[in-house]
Amino acid sequence: MRINRGGRSSRQLTLVENSPLRSADPRTKLFLSLAISLVVMTSIERLLIFLGVYLLFLVWTRLLSPTVQHVWRLKWLLIFLFAFDWWLISLDHAVLICIRLILLTGVFALFFSTTNTRELGLALEKLHIPYRYAFSLSLAFQSLGLLDDEWRAIREAQSSRGALPDSSSFWKLVTNVGDLISLTVPAIVLTTKRAWAITEASYARGFDSPHRVSYHTLEFSRLDFLLMAGTTLLLILLFWRW
Amino acid sequence: MLRAKQVSFQYPQEGHGLPPVSLDVAPGRLTLVTGPSGCGKSTLARCLMGLIPHLYNGEILGEVWLNGFRTTDVPMWQLAEKAGMVFQNPAAQMLAPTVEDEIIFGLENLGLARDEIKSRLETALQDFNLTHMRHRNPQTLSGGEQQRLALAAILARQPQALILDEPLSMLDTTAATDLIAYLERFVAGGKSLVMFEHRHEYLDDLPEVDHIALGGNKEETDFQQHATNLLIQKNFNLIIEGLHVQLGKKEVIHKLNLSLTSGQVVAIVGRNGVGKTTLLRSLAGLQKHNGDIKVITPDGEQRPNFGMVFQNPDLQLFNASVRDELLYRIPNPDIPYFNWLISALGLDRYENTPPLLLSEGEKKRVTLGLALMRRPAHGLLLDEPSLGQDIIHKTILIRLLRTLADAGQLVMMTTHDLNLASHADRLILLGPEGEIIADSLTEVVLQDSSAWQKTGIILPNWFLRQREAESAK
Repeated sequence: MRINRGGRSSRQLTLVENSPLRSADPRTKLFLSLAISLVVMTSIERLLIFLGVYLLFLVWTRLLSPTVQHVWRLKWLLIFLFAFDWWLISLDHAVLICIRLILLTGVFALFFSTTNTRELGLALEKLHIPYRYAFSLSLAFQSLGLLDDEWRAIREAQSSRGALPDSSSFWKLVTNVGDLISLTVPAIVLTTKRAWAITEASYARGFDSPHRVSYHTLEFSRLDFLLMAGTTLLLILLFWRW
Repeated sequence: MLRAKQVSFQYPQEGHGLPPVSLDVAPGRLTLVTGPSGCGKSTLARCLMGLIPHLYNGEILGEVWLNGFRTTDVPMWQLAEKAGMVFQNPAAQMLAPTVEDEIIFGLENLGLARDEIKSRLETALQDFNLTHMRHRNPQTLSGGEQQRLALAAILARQPQALILDEPLSMLDTTAATDLIAYLERFVAGGKSLVMFEHRHEYLDDLPEVDHIALGGNKEETDFQQHATNLLIQKNFNLIIEGLHVQLGKKEVIHKLNLSLTSGQVVAIVGRNGVGKTTLLRSLAGLQKHNGDIKVITPDGEQRPNFGMVFQNPDLQLFNASVRDELLYRIPNPDIPYFNWLISALGLDRYENTPPLLLSEGEKKRVTLGLALMRRPAHGLLLDEPSLGQDIIHKTILIRLLRTLADAGQLVMMTTHDLNLASHADRLILLGPEGEIIADSLTEVVLQDSSAWQKTGIILPNWFLRQREAESAK
């Protein structure tokens, strides 16, 4: 029995087990993600060059498909931003904003398609973030997929009783924004209940024990050093004044 | 050893809490605690584990002793070394990305050596038959598998006492029977077990069970059998022809054919994942499908119009009062009908109460009311309606469903609860591939042993005894 999820399939990011990045240290992937997030601040010409290199990198790491799927979800936002920026500012600016958003969204897919939340928590611990916060943050990311499932379940349940806000047009949604309460209140209730249930379950298994040890360990491999060196070199080239 | 001496607890909100209770659970003993919804069972469970007062605000009186420690005197992690607790909803207590990490989490907190963690992990995976799914995400497991994992994660810590808060409520018959077998072994190992459960018939076969019944507000509903105000449509047939549902790559329902007549309660029983919920969602128009679903009346063909009652009432409730909830978005509400309905559901005393403050059983009845306020022309579809319901709420539910069927509506429900299913007029058994194994009058299907065998459902002993008694009559 799939409790409360009968008949639906999840849109959570699944781990790409055959990606070379799957075996990389999560700290390396955090560094990689941070580097890509920095690259978005460069000029459009250099950004386009980077995008080409990045696409090749995604093909090598077998992450092109999950990244495209993830970015595809933002298609309406991207179209809106592109049109709005082109109309109000310039075509160059519209392209720049869209590439930045695509890259930042892609970074999220790259990291979570190759790292599970336990590995994220462990990486944060190694980076001297207190266990309590590292654990909470990894749980928060783990819950993202569940939020999506719950949101869809709420929409379905409310539509069956005719309590779904009228979203047939943007204007109707804006004028009847109060109706969104039929979705937001159940979402808050479910999230709060789940958060509390996890808190109880973790304390019942000694979460606050001062004797805690870590079963899993992290160790840099040759791949990690290569990735970090390559990323650093690319960053220097992109930000070099030439 | 677990001992509570006149322990009581009062939450900051008025009217919620636990009246004074005493209990004594010796090693090698199982204590069953029963009582109606809202009597404080879950609160007592949390007091025994020490979660109250460590995680909850409120006033606790009396004492709870756990292996020689008073729960108020030691930190939570120290109590967790002596006792473990498994909660009602197995999915909600999963906190790791893989099955083995779920077990490792509790072992890491004990500060064990790496080899010891590895050894306990492997033992737990084997004991609970989880080895083949050790790398899977716990959220993708079935309810039975999740409950097994929750138990494995706790028992790997080797606690002296175990507290279980309604562990059977979300399990199917087979998973519930398996769980009881695990618990029997735990108690036989000289450990203490306290179990809070509505479905206690599963414990009937255990040799020695101490029983504590908590009181509470046993409500008697002034239930009206007549349903003259219901908008009914008598004499129709629901025809399902070649129903086919594909979810992703999985074929959930394959060419299903079914014909049902109005005026009856139909129970659909089958193992987890055979497509019961998907069938209801298809009938409610919430699921894309191939094939025909039509209603044939003396006046011709109609589109099916059913109200759907979901497993989890929290998905739908958001208004400030039960009255507002039931009347939300109902154009020109029929107030006499509303008054009849709220009374029939036993909710009239809560008319001005926020529905989110009600007990789970009462919330479920509010969602039943939501479906009925829209006056579905053909009847109701209920997904696991008795989930988490005590005997009083279940009795109210059965009587209400019977009233609707007597008024000419078609009531279809999926359930794992064999007691509830035995009150239906017609029983449909689904096989492992979602195929119909049996479809007949309930008393006929209940006696058909070979059909039950084909479903893969292991019938518990209490049910077999009940069936033999019925057969002897």
